[in-house]
Amino acid sequence: MTLALEIKNLVKTFGGLTATDNLNFDIKEGRSVGLIGPNGAGKTTVFSQIMGELQQTSGQISLFGTDLGTLPTSKRIRLGVSRTYQIPRPFLELSVVENIRVGLMPNSIWSMIIKGPDHTKEEKLALEVGLAETDFEKPASELSMGDLRKLELARTIATGAKVLLLDEVFAGLTTGEIAQISSLIQDLRAKGFTLLIVSHDLPALEPLIDHVIAIERGRIIATGNFKDVVNDESVRASYLGQAT
Amino acid sequence: MGLRWYHFTAWGLFAIGLALLPEIVSKGTLRTFIFANYLVIFAISWDLLSGRTGYISFGHPFLIGIGAYTSAILTKRFGIDVELAIPIAVIVTMIGGLIVLLPALRIRGSYFALVTLAFMELMYQLVQVIRPDLTGGTRGMSGIQTLTRGAVNGFYFSSFLMFVIAISSWFLLRTRIGTALTAIGLNESAVEGSGLSVTKLKMFAFMASAFVAGLGGAFYVHYLGSLAPRALFDINFVFTIIVAVLIGGASTIIGPIIGALFLTFLLEYLRPYLPGAERYFIYGGIALLLYMYQPKGIYALITSGWQMLQEKSVK
Repeated sequence: MTLALEIKNLVKTFGGLTATDNLNFDIKEGRSVGLIGPNGAGKTTVFSQIMGELQQTSGQISLFGTDLGTLPTSKRIRLGVSRTYQIPRPFLELSVVENIRVGLMPNSIWSMIIKGPDHTKEEKLALEVGLAETDFEKPASELSMGDLRKLELARTIATGAKVLLLDEVFAGLTTGEIAQISSLIQDLRAKGFTLLIVSHDLPALEPLIDHVIAIERGRIIATGNFKDVVNDESVRASYLGQAT
Repeated sequence: MGLRWYHFTAWGLFAIGLALLPEIVSKGTLRTFIFANYLVIFAISWDLLSGRTGYISFGHPFLIGIGAYTSAILTKRFGIDVELAIPIAVIVTMIGGLIVLLPALRIRGSYFALVTLAFMELMYQLVQVIRPDLTGGTRGMSGIQTLTRGAVNGFYFSSFLMFVIAISSWFLLRTRIGTALTAIGLNESAVEGSGLSVTKLKMFAFMASAFVAGLGGAFYVHYLGSLAPRALFDINFVFTIIVAVLIGGASTIIGPIIGALFLTFLLEYLRPYLPGAERYFIYGGIALLLYMYQPKGIYALITSGWQMLQEKSVK
């Protein structure tokens, strides 16, 4: 099995603060990995570095064997990695299908002009993530938090990325919406997507991942299967704020 | 593109309306329409960049000025045919504007607006001191070749130009590029996060805007037959363009058309009562009221009124 994502000796410092401290891990293609840790552990900073939104201080990030170096975010997405955000970032005044359209667009001005939108694909993606047909023409500003997360997931998938970084996908959702998003993520796993999922909702995360990485202050403190990691003393201490 | 029969009907009726107008109104009113047509062109140019992407340009006369000065200098000082001078002026506007303004696209918000404003003022100072033998210095230029004679010809010519620019921009913005540019205005980082190069898109918006500004500027100077730097690089001129877009409805093509016509005629009809700059208080007040109660402009007022009527008729 090839490596979809490989992180080697990743370091990110902000002045005197080390947010990512010599991080090393990899994810095989088609696997689903959980990234957990208390608030401020540096999970989102790792996502931002993988996406090129933050440039690492040192270390290497590779996607399917290609060093991402200093590539801009848009090029990384074209290489096959995309992410969602803790707070969804929809285009509020655009309709649901137009939001998905942005994700489906080629990065070529000429193609954008001469080729019309693929309505069938837009609507198929919207339905796949569980949005209703009646939502298609609704502006994103009228959607619930659950539907906004679905929409963001649809736009992320629309980019064609095979490695998805999902940041706090259950935050602000009702129990019913959590079940819907979980089922969606299971579908993505079944389709062979490689997933790296950040969540504070550990019971919801457990069935969605093959293994888990726990970090604190940007450093890995435990890795392995879900039960072993959450029962690990250092992980429990970091979550409960106890000294190890 | 989602084209419907009523789109073609609306554009067709608009074209017929323009064609019949000289039969209905006086020559004085036609002259006001000519200015309105050029304001529509400048407003569309501004909207292509600022209305869509949210990069508010206070220096649009900088681009219009490059087009106007280039064509005026080429025809008057170098005797180049106007048919050749205008395309050259458009290209020079796009290139000149790109070299100077593209670095400014790296900044956002009020900083971008201030940088563009500074460029307009810089251009005003430069045309006075650099080669005044070419630019005419502070006095500007007169005796520039005109393309039309009389109000009717001038009206048809400016209307044709405005109509072609409006319908081409409308078609262009109904493609996916229109959605992408609007998305930049709504959430730039999310566009980048959708795998699109925001720099490339902004450059396109800027080039399209410069193309229309250069074209409008060049034809405008060959309508006026003269060029006065203080009138062109004037803050009131910038605000007239911006307010026309905002009053009509930004991020649409119909909006700048409505806004420019409304504003030109409002100012014209106020002239006998308020001959000085007081008129600008009136349109400033209208813009403020509209912005408070319907920030999307007159076009949104019309469409929401139409929807209400439709809903009532269904009931």
